[in-house]
Amino acid sequence: MSITEILFWFLTAMALGSAIMVITSRSPVHSVLWLIVTFFAISGHYIMMNAQFLAIVNIIVYAGAIMVLFLFVVMLMNLNAESEPQKNRMLQFAGLLAGGCLFLVILASLMKATETSSMVQLGSGNEGLIKNLGKALFNDYVIPFEISSVLFLSAMIGAVLIGKKEKAEHDGN
Amino acid sequence: MMLGGAFIKDRRTPVYLGIGGLLAILAACAVELKTGRPLLVIDVKDMLHANSFNLTFIMVALGCTLLYFLLNGRDFEKVGPHVSEYFALIFFILCGVSIVATFNTLLMLFLGIEIISIPLYILTGSDKRNLKSNEAALKYFLMGSFSTGIMLLGIAFMYGGNVMGTFFINNMNLGSGPMPALIGVGLVLLMVSMSFKVSAAPFHFWTPDVYDGAPTVFTSFMASIVKVASFFAFVRLFESAFGTLQSQWQTLVAVITAATLIIGNLTAVFQQSVKRMLAYSSIAQAGFMLLALFALNDTAKEGLVLYAAAYSLATIGLFAVLVKMKDYTVDGFNGLSKQQPLLALTVTIFLLSLTGIPLTAGFQAKFYMLWAAIQNGHHFWLVILAVLCAAISAYYYFRIIQAMYFRENSETVMNEWDITPSFKYLLLITAVLIIVLGIFPNLVIDWLHY
Repeated sequence: MSITEILFWFLTAMALGSAIMVITSRSPVHSVLWLIVTFFAISGHYIMMNAQFLAIVNIIVYAGAIMVLFLFVVMLMNLNAESEPQKNRMLQFAGLLAGGCLFLVILASLMKATETSSMVQLGSGNEGLIKNLGKALFNDYVIPFEISSVLFLSAMIGAVLIGKKEKAEHDGN
Repeated sequence: MMLGGAFIKDRRTPVYLGIGGLLAILAACAVELKTGRPLLVIDVKDMLHANSFNLTFIMVALGCTLLYFLLNGRDFEKVGPHVSEYFALIFFILCGVSIVATFNTLLMLFLGIEIISIPLYILTGSDKRNLKSNEAALKYFLMGSFSTGIMLLGIAFMYGGNVMGTFFINNMNLGSGPMPALIGVGLVLLMVSMSFKVSAAPFHFWTPDVYDGAPTVFTSFMASIVKVASFFAFVRLFESAFGTLQSQWQTLVAVITAATLIIGNLTAVFQQSVKRMLAYSSIAQAGFMLLALFALNDTAKEGLVLYAAAYSLATIGLFAVLVKMKDYTVDGFNGLSKQQPLLALTVTIFLLSLTGIPLTAGFQAKFYMLWAAIQNGHHFWLVILAVLCAAISAYYYFRIIQAMYFRENSETVMNEWDITPSFKYLLLITAVLIIVLGIFPNLVIDWLHY
């Protein structure tokens, strides 16, 4: 077993384990912290696949910015056990059943998949480097790139629209 | 040929500028369709592709939006003070509509669907003082983002599964043999998420709540143009990418169609609120449009465009009247024919068209759909079921007509009608359009063959 393979399995175990911890921990703050661990493990995978840019962005944007935001929201909401709504047993069971079915279907189809590609890519391939990524983004993928600006613009307008204070004279609307 | 780009400029404009911009784009579209030469050429790297079918559809969508603006433009002010933002968001949605109508890669499909959905979440919740509107927006947002997640997962599977390693739906070369495992999963996931977007059963649970909670002006847009556009994307995706595999997913679509028809029609029968009834009826109509996906032949394509026009026109007209009503229950329509004979007449025509009575556009549309399904030759029971469901739908549509004409308004409280003559004429034009399309469906379909 080479060092890269050990690293691969270690990162995989870390990602899966911390992802399970995210949904099983009682306290939401712990969940968020475990989620950060998951992101770091996935970033490790990205680096092993020679996608450095993606790895860094994943850490900066997800583990950094979004998770901090999450933490703030969780803390501001001041969740505790008493204020949590009662969970219906039947609903839990139904959720388990539905989720399990989806998992089973995906698992069943993946069991039959035979394609195995190399798990790591070391020293070869430079598609994940910033330079090539930028070239691809502004040559081949310039249309989706521009179109996504419309998406973000609409999201921004929406956020302003929802967040804006209504003036008093529009009461009752 | 980036038709979507033209929409962005129309931000922060009052009604007239919106209508003007729409007319300009409509004209550009028509010129392109007639002459086969676009006004503005942008290299899109084959990610968007427009032929006469797509352009006709975009024109139908734009035309319906034009009518929608003309009918409802002044009612936007009732929702809240940010009228220009509402227009901006609707133009964004139109941009998304033209993307999903012309997309050629899964990437653009995703972007288009998102550009449609995100402004819709906001429009649903735009009535901030109304708790129901808030609830609807939150529900729609949560469920919608979940289905988007499923769609992304499906796209990832498709990308990993096809031999070519491509997002382009035409180059996937899936062949007609048994599906590889990854493709199978991707296909089902994509089908689930698209069924959610078009509110097909059993993924329809958000529809009544969202349609009911959203401000009525926006429900009108949501139920007509957006819905039809999602359908178009659904059919385009499955035709281009999975057309060769049709025999393998056809039964699944048949089951979804049957469930949608039955659930939509049977639940609509029990509704008291007209707005909610229309939400269920839109599920039922979605069942009919699913027949196009089921059959997937030329007749189905013609039928889909016709259905888009017929259904959108009738729905927009019906909701435009509903916006003016105070009481959304069926009893609210009591004695309408005495107070507003012209309104009652147009509502009757819209309802007849939705039911599919001959001489209306709805009949032709339904006829094309059924004919396409028969031509397809498989699962004949589905056609019989569809006809039966159309008969059921007559019951709840006719209940409103009966209320309008044969019942007296028992209460002394009269609705105050703020109806301008131009509104009446526009409604009349819409109704006439429906009848004209019902008699000469070729007016729309001929555009396909330029």
